[in-house]
Amino acid sequence: MANKIMEFRHVEKRFDDNVVLRDIDFEIEAGKFYTLLGPSGSGKTTILRLIAGFDQPTSGEIFFDGKKINDVPANQRQVNTVFQDYALFPHMNVAENVAFGLQIRGVKKAEIKQRVAEALKLVQLNGYGEREITAMSGGQRQRVAIARAIVNEPKVLLLDEALSALDHKLRVQMQTELRQLQRKLGITFIFVTHDQEEALAMSDQIMIINDGTIQQSGTPVDIYDEPLNHFVADFIGESNIVPGVMKEDYLVSINGQDFTCVDAGMKPNERVEVVIRPEDLDITTVDKGQLVGTVDTQLFRGVDYQITVHDIRDHTWKINSIHKTTVGAKVGISFDPEDIHVMRYNETEEDFDARLDSYEEDE
Amino acid sequence: MRNKTLFIIPYALWIILFVVAPLVLIFYQSFFDISGHLTLSNYANYLTSSVYLKMTLNSVWYAFLITLVTLVISYPTAYVLNHLPNKQFWLLLVILPTWINLLLKTYAFIGLFSRTGSINQFLRFVGFGSHQLLFTDASFMFVAAYIEIPFMVLPIFNSLAEISPSLINASKDLGANQWQTFTKVVLPLSMPGVKAGIQAVFIPSLSLFMITRLIGGNRVITLGTAIEEHFLTTQNWGMGSTIGVILIIAMFIVMFITGEAKQKGGRTR
Amino acid sequence: MKKRHLTWSGLYLAVVFVILYAPIVYLVVFSFSAGTTMENYHGFSLRHYADLMSDTRMITIVFNTIIIALLASLVATIIGTLGALAIKDTRGKVKNSLLSLNNVLMVSPDVIIGASFLIFFTMLGVRLGFISVLLSHIAFCIPIVVLMVLPKINELSPTLVDAAYDLGATRWQAFSQVVLPAITPGIWAGYFMALTYSLDDFAVTFFVTGNGFSTLSVEIYSRARQGINLEINALSALMFLVSLLLVLGYYIISKHGGRHHRVVAVKEGDVQ
Repeated sequence: MANKIMEFRHVEKRFDDNVVLRDIDFEIEAGKFYTLLGPSGSGKTTILRLIAGFDQPTSGEIFFDGKKINDVPANQRQVNTVFQDYALFPHMNVAENVAFGLQIRGVKKAEIKQRVAEALKLVQLNGYGEREITAMSGGQRQRVAIARAIVNEPKVLLLDEALSALDHKLRVQMQTELRQLQRKLGITFIFVTHDQEEALAMSDQIMIINDGTIQQSGTPVDIYDEPLNHFVADFIGESNIVPGVMKEDYLVSINGQDFTCVDAGMKPNERVEVVIRPEDLDITTVDKGQLVGTVDTQLFRGVDYQITVHDIRDHTWKINSIHKTTVGAKVGISFDPEDIHVMRYNETEEDFDARLDSYEEDE
Repeated sequence: MRNKTLFIIPYALWIILFVVAPLVLIFYQSFFDISGHLTLSNYANYLTSSVYLKMTLNSVWYAFLITLVTLVISYPTAYVLNHLPNKQFWLLLVILPTWINLLLKTYAFIGLFSRTGSINQFLRFVGFGSHQLLFTDASFMFVAAYIEIPFMVLPIFNSLAEISPSLINASKDLGANQWQTFTKVVLPLSMPGVKAGIQAVFIPSLSLFMITRLIGGNRVITLGTAIEEHFLTTQNWGMGSTIGVILIIAMFIVMFITGEAKQKGGRTR
Repeated sequence: MKKRHLTWSGLYLAVVFVILYAPIVYLVVFSFSAGTTMENYHGFSLRHYADLMSDTRMITIVFNTIIIALLASLVATIIGTLGALAIKDTRGKVKNSLLSLNNVLMVSPDVIIGASFLIFFTMLGVRLGFISVLLSHIAFCIPIVVLMVLPKINELSPTLVDAAYDLGATRWQAFSQVVLPAITPGIWAGYFMALTYSLDDFAVTFFVTGNGFSTLSVEIYSRARQGINLEINALSALMFLVSLLLVLGYYIISKHGGRHHRVVAVKEGDVQ
């Protein structure tokens, strides 16, 4: 990889008998925005704590800038963290909080003052230095926490569920700001979240973690369009996941009905899972539909309608459509071959990539 | 942290020397008679002597009455306080007397209750004539209750203050009137406070000796006075320790009965 | 109807407050009486205060009491704070048993504490007097300090210490610059409570003090047993003033330092 700043090699973490992380292997490129995405208890925060140095791996190696850092304590790593609860020191004001790291390192007073002012400016808290932490709103505390971390000019900034305590509107605003800040500073951000929308919106690269392993990693678009397995498809966005049989290359059977698709490289008649995103399904007339069914429910969500339809084989489909329909109406459902995404059971990420490469080259 | 192990050394020493050792010693001492022989006679004495048994019953009975009087006065006080604006300030006023040396408050009652003291002057004034107030059981219980009121008000007040106003509203919304709301919602939810209050009042009432001596007269009427008498007057430490062990057992019984009071929250069962 | 309800409860509260404060007011008022009994007020005089000031035995005892209180609460605060920090790091059963042991002296009746300490000191051969009283006061002040400091430590988010390490602090720096300042209000509150516990104690001191040494409470007890002496009233007026100042100091400290100042201080188990 071009500009590798950090690497995990076969990292395992156990607490007593409890395996929290198993065989974690990844590389982090400098200057990019990474997101570790997973449900709570998946192990994503543990990875962050290993990077920060609050915990040590049970086995495996962690490299930073080419050096093994397994035994380097947290206070000697060029990594800073924005904590979920911000962890601002309650007995210090804003400026004192931001200055803490510099003071510890013995930076000169005049320089501290200047750098604190710059950092506060970066997070748009100009002139808030003398405020008490208790006098700051949730969003402002968040910014103080970011300023306190970036003022130390870390090579990697870790953000642990950093936006989860904010309300929706503020969160969306902070997503944009964080992304801009990362571009401006040019340092690596590693962001931990359980919110898939947040991950898709901000990241260059997403790693999906579940059950102590990395399920899939890639750009947001790759992961959304080509989820590797049931978990990823289900976790990222909304989806219809249906069991199917791969009759031959480019032909999949769902509920006994055959459909053309764009996937290949599997064994004939292999049992697979098929993912179709609700927004890729269109409501049409009965005669134009590839599937026929009856509308069960319809919810208006502002941007679109969320519709459920059960087809004649009694399978229920989720459909997101900007057009309204009528509950109880008989409708057709149409979709294109490229809307069908086929997933093999237990396929690893490498196999998946190799298979994709094999038939995409053919075309 | 390595220095954390150092932190615990003085504290652990304290636990061993001043918590565990004295308790073990008082238990140990209770098996020795006045001339230093290992014996069970202290317990035998205690269990067969009508004087000791009567005194114990008396002590429990007094403690019960003191607790009851304190509770009856304190619950309404806590309830009313809780409905006042600036309730924290008023609560502070209730608590303030606890910061004044106990001896002084007791001493004030010697003056108030004396044969020619202010209470008797008042009684004469309204035509009831003067009475012997000092050195009676009633005056002893009154002063004890007086001393204990703040310790009963505080936990009850706290548990009342913890009750969310929306629970009261919910009860009214579901059709309960004020009295029903009180008996079915407020009272059960304040029980942890009541239990904590009873704990804080009953045990000290069993072991009182200073108020007993100054207000109740020079009589041995509580477990506390008996212990003091044996340790400091008759020098029979063995018997004193035996009564001490009885008192400790009584303490555990009370704590067991009012057990869950410590878990603040709502549930008592 | 609402108004009526308020007046009844107001009246009730007024009666309770009169009962609570009457004895204290009574003491203070008579301290300024020219007479020698608490029966009839004989006009304003400061003679009892003058008596008090020339009573060298009493002055010495006041001095002893203050020395004991200051020393005992200082030592208790140090040991108690270290204890609370140690308890914080324990878990499960160990933590529960430490907390129970900590509370033994809080719930034990004072007679039991006094009697058992008396046996303990006698067995060790410690001479009853200043040292035995000081050690006893330190012993019964430690648990209250732990109980005042522990909530502050628990309030401290574990990420605060992580944050300090993350920003480059060593363990000592994280402790001295983050943990210690954050729990300082609790430490002060513990010190103040210990101070008042010590100043107020009668029963334990009564058991472990020898013939040569006395504290204020013990002295008042022995004088009160001999009857009314308005010098005690003068003393109580002064002590009332000191108590007020202490309460004030305590509240200023807990308000100033505590973001959550719902701390209402009461001296549990004070009764004896």
